[in-house]
Amino acid sequence: MSDQSTGNSAAVRADLITKQYLGGKFTALENVSLTLNENEIVAFVGPSGCGKTTMLRVISGLEPPTRGRITTFGDRITGPGPDRGMIFQAYTSFPWLTARKNIEYGMKIVGVSKEERRKKAEEMLGLVHLEDFADHYPASLSGGMKQRVAIARTLAQNPRILLMDEPFGALDAQVRWEMQEMMVDVIEREKKTVILVTHDIEEAIYLADRIIFFTRNPGRVKEDIPLEFKQGKRFAIKEELFDQPGYTDMERKLFAMMREEITGKAA
Amino acid sequence: MGDGVAMTASETSPIPDDKEIGELHVHKTPFFELLDEPSARRTTVLGIIGAIAFFVVWETAHYLTPEQGQRFLPGVEQVLGKLIYLYTEKGFLSDVLISCMRIFGSFLMASAIAVPLGIAMGCFANLRALINPTVSGWRYLPAASFIPLLLVWFGPSEGAKMGLLFLGVIFFLVAMILDNTLAVQRELVEAALTMGASRKRIVLEVVVPAVAPSVVDSMRTMIAVGWTYLVIAEIVGAQDGIGAVMMRAGRFLHVDIIMAGILMIGILGVLTDLMFRYLQHVVFPWTRPRKG
Repeated sequence: MSDQSTGNSAAVRADLITKQYLGGKFTALENVSLTLNENEIVAFVGPSGCGKTTMLRVISGLEPPTRGRITTFGDRITGPGPDRGMIFQAYTSFPWLTARKNIEYGMKIVGVSKEERRKKAEEMLGLVHLEDFADHYPASLSGGMKQRVAIARTLAQNPRILLMDEPFGALDAQVRWEMQEMMVDVIEREKKTVILVTHDIEEAIYLADRIIFFTRNPGRVKEDIPLEFKQGKRFAIKEELFDQPGYTDMERKLFAMMREEITGKAA
Repeated sequence: MGDGVAMTASETSPIPDDKEIGELHVHKTPFFELLDEPSARRTTVLGIIGAIAFFVVWETAHYLTPEQGQRFLPGVEQVLGKLIYLYTEKGFLSDVLISCMRIFGSFLMASAIAVPLGIAMGCFANLRALINPTVSGWRYLPAASFIPLLLVWFGPSEGAKMGLLFLGVIFFLVAMILDNTLAVQRELVEAALTMGASRKRIVLEVVVPAVAPSVVDSMRTMIAVGWTYLVIAEIVGAQDGIGAVMMRAGRFLHVDIIMAGILMIGILGVLTDLMFRYLQHVVFPWTRPRKG
């Protein structure tokens, strides 16, 4: 699986990734290089149009890069695969399947046996607190519940990396923090490498161990920011984060970076 | 309740009781209200009123027509009577059945091609580029203009009539189902791709169920168009069927029979529509309004 000879077993390693559209007229990403470690939670943050989502899609394999080299655990990424599960901002739980069947469907694709699927689906429903809604169709679930179905479906496939593209962007504020706290619990239990694309600074600081800040026109990495003030901790409750010394400074720093990106000048 | 006590309460309590407010305002929704969804009962009642109004207008027009002209605009009861007469005395049932057979037979054949083709074109851009320009062009050719050709090829047989119905429906159906497929949320397919699903699996297990309810909707719309062509087909060269009965009646100025035929087609159309709606309800339970 991993490339032992060079010791390169990074969860994701990107070298000089460039992604252009319209035959080179538009450059979404320019020479982006980054290394993401196993079991790390990394947030891609930046203003709209900075290429953070494009980078995530390149990692997912949904978009091939125009130039550059990209590997996951040493293997070249040539297309999407169940080793890199993805959660979208749009609700992607299949409307024609109940919550339970949605979760089982992901496992069916990767060839999990029927009994195993049933058992694991039950476990996953518990993990995302949907036991009571197992046999509901998505149409009768709230937005947050639909998103939990998608998360459970992806996790049930046991991916090595979880890619999340603004997963809570469509949810209202209260549901969003409930989901964020649930994710901390889920990630701790499932031991996943997570890449989270978000423009919500607070969300990035709360969930991530490290933030990669993207700049736009063209999309590049502006700064790789380890969240040292968290001292490697992940907090079950959001208020615990706010109590950490250094939290406010970090939030202020990121806001200033964002403002600089938007207005084109430092605050 | 002593009035004095109530008065002091109203001065101190921020929440006044019913007595002090007096009559509550009743908000009346105007008839022409925007974004208003009337209750199910109201919808039914309005529908019935509309239908009755139609028959009242018809009946009034009949009575206002001078005596010598009334046979050209028979009353409701005459047309209904004629419809019963056709069934009991003239073996109209076999004409109705043969018309239904033509409609459903040709529609099934058109759907058997249009549904898979439309979905495949929606899934694969190369296939779409290959076929769509040609199919789009066909939509602008009036199906009726193929009648002489169909008559030369098939003679006044079932082939000619079914052929007309088939041609009248299939190109529109392909275009509608293509649109339905293109409207399938892109992320559903992308999610399946990231789950590692094969292309075959995605088409059959994601795109098909995602598009199925709107495909049935498109079919429901297009079968109504089928009824239009049925009458044309049966007028041209048929010995049997609802259209043929109406055409024969026309030769003898039997307006009541013509109108009975029109009424019968209307009834069959409504029944077909209900059948499709019922099918949708049963086959696609996830499209039903939320259960709780």
